Amino acid sequence: MASLQHPFQCLRYVNRQSMGQSDILIATAGRNLYSYDSSSGQRLDVWPQPVDANVEDNAEDKSSDAAPASESQGPPEKRRKLSSTSEEQQDAKPESKPKDSNKEASNSWTNIPLVAVAHSKYVVIMTSEDKCVRVLSLDNEGKLQQLSARTMPKKLSALTLTPDENNILTGDKFGDVYTFPLIPSGEYVKVQAPAKAYEPSATNLTVHTKRNLESLEQQMRQAALSKTNQAERVVLNFEHQVIIGHVSLLTELISVTRPADSTVGKRNYILTADRDEHIRVSRGVPQAHVIEQFCFGHTSFVSSLCVPSFEPKVLVSGGGDNYLLVWDWLQNQILQKVQLPGAEGEITMRGIWDVSLEPTADNADPVKAIFVSLEGSSQLLYYTLESDNTITHQDTLQLSGNVLELTGLGSRGSILVAVDTLRQSDSTSAWKSSSQPPLEAFRFSSGKWAPVDDSMVIKINSEGTSNLPTTIEEKQQKELNDSMYNLGNLRKRGDYDE
Amino acid sequence: MATQNPPAKRVKREEYRRKVQAQQESTDGSVIKMPQKKFFRQRAHANPFSDHRLEYPISPAHMDWSSHYPAFVDPDTSKTNLSGGRKLTKEVEVVDIGCGFGGLMVGLAPLLPDTLMVGMEIRTSVLEYLSSRIHALRSQQQRLKNKAANPSSTEPQDASTQPENTESTPAPAPANDDEIGTEKLFPGNFENITAIRSNTMKFLPNFFGHHQLSKIFICFPDPHFKARKHKARIISESLNSEYAFVLRPGGLLYTITDVEEYHHWVLRHFLHGEQPEGGPAPAASSKDLFERVSEEELALDPCVRVMKFETEESKKVTRNKGNKYVAVFRRKADPEWPA
Repeated sequence: MASLQHPFQCLRYVNRQSMGQSDILIATAGRNLYSYDSSSGQRLDVWPQPVDANVEDNAEDKSSDAAPASESQGPPEKRRKLSSTSEEQQDAKPESKPKDSNKEASNSWTNIPLVAVAHSKYVVIMTSEDKCVRVLSLDNEGKLQQLSARTMPKKLSALTLTPDENNILTGDKFGDVYTFPLIPSGEYVKVQAPAKAYEPSATNLTVHTKRNLESLEQQMRQAALSKTNQAERVVLNFEHQVIIGHVSLLTELISVTRPADSTVGKRNYILTADRDEHIRVSRGVPQAHVIEQFCFGHTSFVSSLCVPSFEPKVLVSGGGDNYLLVWDWLQNQILQKVQLPGAEGEITMRGIWDVSLEPTADNADPVKAIFVSLEGSSQLLYYTLESDNTITHQDTLQLSGNVLELTGLGSRGSILVAVDTLRQSDSTSAWKSSSQPPLEAFRFSSGKWAPVDDSMVIKINSEGTSNLPTTIEEKQQKELNDSMYNLGNLRKRGDYDE
Repeated sequence: MATQNPPAKRVKREEYRRKVQAQQESTDGSVIKMPQKKFFRQRAHANPFSDHRLEYPISPAHMDWSSHYPAFVDPDTSKTNLSGGRKLTKEVEVVDIGCGFGGLMVGLAPLLPDTLMVGMEIRTSVLEYLSSRIHALRSQQQRLKNKAANPSSTEPQDASTQPENTESTPAPAPANDDEIGTEKLFPGNFENITAIRSNTMKFLPNFFGHHQLSKIFICFPDPHFKARKHKARIISESLNSEYAFVLRPGGLLYTITDVEEYHHWVLRHFLHGEQPEGGPAPAASSKDLFERVSEEELALDPCVRVMKFETEESKKVTRNKGNKYVAVFRRKADPEWPA
């Protein structure tokens, strides 16, 4: 029996022809990040490398911004805010252990659910369990090298870049959107007021009951005792800004540029979606605090937003509803409500992807495709965007496993679909006995998307991804299921809490 | 009255509330008594992050206000909103976030008789009290109006006591709260106020559109003393962005608290701090959308007086000789788009 392999969770096609280089496919599976040559399918690199000593050396040589002398042994990205020298020594101990850092790191996450690519030469990822945003360089040969790692306070649900690709935008489970530079600039010095003695904000003018007064007294006593006991938090010790906040679980975040038209110039926007049915339209950085619009229409959580690159006025959104909404998002105007196969309360959007194809000899018209997949479904719904900005269902593609991720393959007129290698088709929990190939390709010809034997896909599939342990317990299976199919948890269960 | 086995507090409460409910539903024109607060008290805190069981409209265009402001329903029955409800002749434009027992609403109602105001409260019991209170106030005003129009009424009391006198001094004793408005006719007859259960931290934009509001009140908000709980505070830079969205340029956001630390928190989250001379400009934030209103201006604003002296919480603070910290902010216009 062939051993089970991790499915691909994220795919990104990196177009590098403008840089005079061949295109690269970036993929994550399990806890690894892979880079592939897009023509041959040759694996170029795996990150993190299986534990071996020379990785460290490379990291030191290549890192662009040198670490301060005191920390030269440590990985350059572990830049800590140190407020005093005495603290420095204390803090340095657990943090800077270069020999162990790789091993430690290799245990600290199990998957990489979020990926973005900047300037075709940086890969930004979030490793799940350690909530760490890592920036890696992608060099000419497709080698991956970690440049920085920044720990966020909460697990991220969305990661993208500002339109200039110089800043990272993240959205977290707490509803906050952060922005910080792709490449950390210089040393971050946290502006901090000198340590103040703790002083309760309550006073005997504001609390009156006997019990409250007692606890206030207790706080005062405690404050006197524990002045020194202030453990510094290791998160967010880098330059950052909170620019948007929802009092809800943030589910999706995209950055959109509307090209100039007759009345206004080019404008950037940030679209955020949350568990409380909201889609919010804010201005782009640095004016993200100005909310321009809310798009109202969903009655369950919103988990997928897609503004097609070929029609930035339009938004296609979906989540826990059994319909898609097509919007003129700047006007909060619903252009179309598209019914999905499945009952309300049961289906969950996995993803919405836009793919455009230039006209070719084969296809006279440009293709403006919107692909939609539902969580735990092996079908891929294919829609086209019409000239009146509505979408029309054209076809449903059947995959060999649940659809997880999709990417267009640039000029090749095809799409690449990652399917679930572990779970049986149309199930989010029942496992297969043996793995199947993780990728499938479809090419557009004569108005249809047809499966195609792409040499790159064959090569990638033949090499596979990383193996799961040969014996896997039910509990681990469940954990893996939950980390791959977690959107259903966003549904409100109507718990009563006054 | 002391009995050995007094009924549990809850039983008493439920009985009382059922009575109030029945009284409201009856249409026999009998005198509706003011509800008593003691039967509606509720723990002063609610978790703003939990789902509760809230009802809220899909969007402001779906919100049916007609049952809340029957006196302001547009007579044209063909005008309906997206959920099929009758439209009003004007829009709601004043909101009291965390209205509690509604002292501010009731105090403001006669001051702004032609302005529609809504109090929003997350706690069900408190909200129920305020709804009953408004219902009772309205029906009493109706009764007084009828009497004034028809002096031959059998009621012995003279109802024509200066209907214009809205500047009545607030009742000094707290119990009199429940009696407010019983004897006088007030401008607006409390038809312009209502109360809704909501979690504004999540759903404020579901009720109000872009630049719809002229005033937002945040009076004696839950201070969430523990630093760990500060994220639950109703004032934060990201929530201020939402207040700015629903507040029209020139509109005012009123805050009052008795917790000095919270007052500084409010100032810190609405205003840029002192910038060092020649230092970098402060990072763009929702602070750019507000400016503080001067003390002189506030002295002339009757709403500030109501906020300081007529809300239940402010009376409690007065009783306990606490301090009151007022800060009011004016919504500035949105900044120009970057070129």
